[in-house]
Amino acid sequence: MEKISVQDVTFSYGSEGADVSAPAEPAVENLSLEIEKGSYTAILGANGSGKSTLAKLIDVIEVPDSGRIVVFGKDTSDDSVFWQIRENSACVFQNPDNQIVGTIVEEDVAFGPENLGIKLPELRERVDQAMKDAGIYELRLREAASLSGGQKQKLAIAGALAMRPEILILDEATAMLDPRSRDEFIAVCEDMRIKKGLTLITITHDMSEAMRCDRVIVMSKGSKAAEGTPAGIFADISLEQYGLRRPVIIKFAYEIARLAGVTLTEEDLTSETRLRERLTNILTSPELPDKAIPEETTEEKTENRRKIMSVKDLFSSYDGGRSFAIKNINLDVYEGEILGIVGESGCGKTTLISHMNSILKPSSGEIEVYPEEGVTLRCSQKKDVQRIRQTVGLVFQYPEYQLFEETVYKDVCYGLRKMKLTADEQKDRAVKAAKAVGLEKDVLRKNPFELSGGQKRRAAMAGVLAMNPKILVLDEPASGLDPVGREEMFSLIRSLREQGTTIVIVSHNMDEAAAYCDRIICIKNGEAVTAETPDKLFSDKEKTYKFGIDQPKITKFTGMLKQDILKILPGCVFERTRFDPEEEARAVYRAVLKAGHKDVK
Amino acid sequence: MLSDISLGKYYKADSILHRTDPRIKALLYVVYLVVIFLISSPVSLGALAGVILIQIIMAKVRPSVVWKTVKPVLPLSIFILILNILTIRQGNLLFRWQFISITDYGISRAVLMAIRLMFLILSTSLMLTLTTTPLKIADALESLFSPLKIFKIPVHEMAMMMSIALRFIPTLIEETDKIMKAQVSRGADYDTGTFVNRVKGYLTVLIPLFISSFRRAEELSVAMDARCYKGGEGRTKLNPLRIKGTDVLVVLFLTACAAGLVVMDLTLR
Repeated sequence: MEKISVQDVTFSYGSEGADVSAPAEPAVENLSLEIEKGSYTAILGANGSGKSTLAKLIDVIEVPDSGRIVVFGKDTSDDSVFWQIRENSACVFQNPDNQIVGTIVEEDVAFGPENLGIKLPELRERVDQAMKDAGIYELRLREAASLSGGQKQKLAIAGALAMRPEILILDEATAMLDPRSRDEFIAVCEDMRIKKGLTLITITHDMSEAMRCDRVIVMSKGSKAAEGTPAGIFADISLEQYGLRRPVIIKFAYEIARLAGVTLTEEDLTSETRLRERLTNILTSPELPDKAIPEETTEEKTENRRKIMSVKDLFSSYDGGRSFAIKNINLDVYEGEILGIVGESGCGKTTLISHMNSILKPSSGEIEVYPEEGVTLRCSQKKDVQRIRQTVGLVFQYPEYQLFEETVYKDVCYGLRKMKLTADEQKDRAVKAAKAVGLEKDVLRKNPFELSGGQKRRAAMAGVLAMNPKILVLDEPASGLDPVGREEMFSLIRSLREQGTTIVIVSHNMDEAAAYCDRIICIKNGEAVTAETPDKLFSDKEKTYKFGIDQPKITKFTGMLKQDILKILPGCVFERTRFDPEEEARAVYRAVLKAGHKDVK
Repeated sequence: MLSDISLGKYYKADSILHRTDPRIKALLYVVYLVVIFLISSPVSLGALAGVILIQIIMAKVRPSVVWKTVKPVLPLSIFILILNILTIRQGNLLFRWQFISITDYGISRAVLMAIRLMFLILSTSLMLTLTTTPLKIADALESLFSPLKIFKIPVHEMAMMMSIALRFIPTLIEETDKIMKAQVSRGADYDTGTFVNRVKGYLTVLIPLFISSFRRAEELSVAMDARCYKGGEGRTKLNPLRIKGTDVLVVLFLTACAAGLVVMDLTLR
């Protein structure tokens, strides 16, 4: 059987450079693994575990310092087969913008085969076929820059397929996509794998994506930490030590199993359907242990809270009123809540939050901010605008790309200098802000570029927090972070809320939005279609779909599970939907117990 | 505001001039450049205006777009007109007041210069920018300058750089907008204050923009590597430049017009 074989490979960046005196930490160290031809493999691991480096080594963009990599019988250190290996494997990277070379869609798809010297008419045939396979044939004459993120990533896939590779490597290729584009993208890749017999390697932070693969390889600190089927890997709790988290559904299942005192086998985890059957069996079994599980306290209601911001009849246009990016938005934000804004890509979420901070001027309508009792700031009043910007802190997506000063301290102080505060006040506030985001004091002295990805993002957030905003608006605060980074980001958001900051989050991850937000506003085509608590919004599948969003993964799964249980225990009354998988597991368990007792009587 | 200006922008249409080989358009452009500066008699200038009108029809460009192309140059054109009227002292004196003196020759030269400028803008737009995508212009330049390869001038690489630069303009504009918004939300103000302060304000935009461009360049180079880019050697093209029958007709017609204009002007002098 042909395979990709990595044998005891060590590699560090910059080793061929001049800086020999300070050898860099190896990105990959004593790594050995094998990937079978035609298989579907996920490579998991925390940021900096060497996943992307592995991809580059297989595609011969880098060559190992020591050890050997043999791709389908060809050694990557052999110069005579170098191009053959590279031609045979194609990559799709994370940022769609940074891999498009051509101005026009079809020209970009042709870039790879043009490099291979493929002549017309085969070239044309390959390009057209690849565009059809990726589902972008209708876009072939469009300018690449005018495509949406999801379309750009499909363009990248088409560009890869046009080279007719045997290996396709996805390097966090879905990280910047919204859930629907992500599903479409994965569907294209999986379809191509089956039709063309591709060897598909996906590097991902999304555990649910990994569940779909045949094999999972876990990397940690540059070497292989574990390997197995997804079921086997996720059955083993020790994977948390490598910075990974179980998929929400698995978390849910294990909590049920723990309560019921049964053990789940690898077999049970092989597919969602099988897992659902097994859980239904456990939960409806007469031997289900009767346990008193205390109900989690319900969160306080928002109604009696003070209103802190009010958006009234807001219309906004980028073309002088010919079309509206957002229309007729009315919403209130209450002090101390976490408000989620969800919706498809391009629905106007970012436009809405830009208005909250008065960066954009409404075409009509008003935004009022009430920083304290009896004070009303209006975005239409010029004198209020500067105060609104201080009251409502805005952190855009990937804020770390916007750091510009030579030290973190200076960057954090940027807004404070603009407020003309004294040096002492600036220092005081900067130190406080750094503490609030969990950065050590000595990080302030560092250059932003010495920090890790997660730290950079915190530093950028500190710059906004230093201005002491009452409301903090965050656009996709966790995008691009690994599972541990995401967890830390959300616990940071919760602790900021506890310190009295009102939070508005824009997110396309429904599981996180549902788990962390008190209320969720859903935007569709520029209009706010609903504002509800997560359990009201997400418990009805049809309704959720109508709003242009998906249910959280956990809710999709438990929704079907609950139906299965109802077939056996028709008297079962389920509690309101929870979004923390373990909490939901306990709620389902309680409901089943109650129903079960009724039947016995 | 910026969208009201058509100067230098591509106009999407399916016309004879759009379909003409970009190399031919580049060469014809040079021919007309010479013609514009060669002829000077009013009649032949009128005839040239007629030829340009034919080109507009050939390019299927709407009159409003033509106007948007010319509009931004009008102030400059009027400035040149007035400057020439006031500074040329040869010819018969028509008017004199204090240090201002206007001559008949001055007026005719001034009008000629202004008209030439307008023609220049129109023919650049029609032959190149309005009817040819930037990528095709880069392709044409690569092809026209390819003989220079024997002098080891990296013609392919330069054309590649040019087309990548053009490809990234919209991306960088978007990014600049994001950075500026983030800084405005932290209290930045780019439009008030002293000149020095304003320049400093823009520096805070340029630094992250530069850094991210380097990051993009690095990622793009890895992506190009992964797609087996190895320079111009052995590369094929999806849409190679090829001279077609209509191209020959366009060349014959427009060169004939150019020659006619020159002959007409010489006989009228």
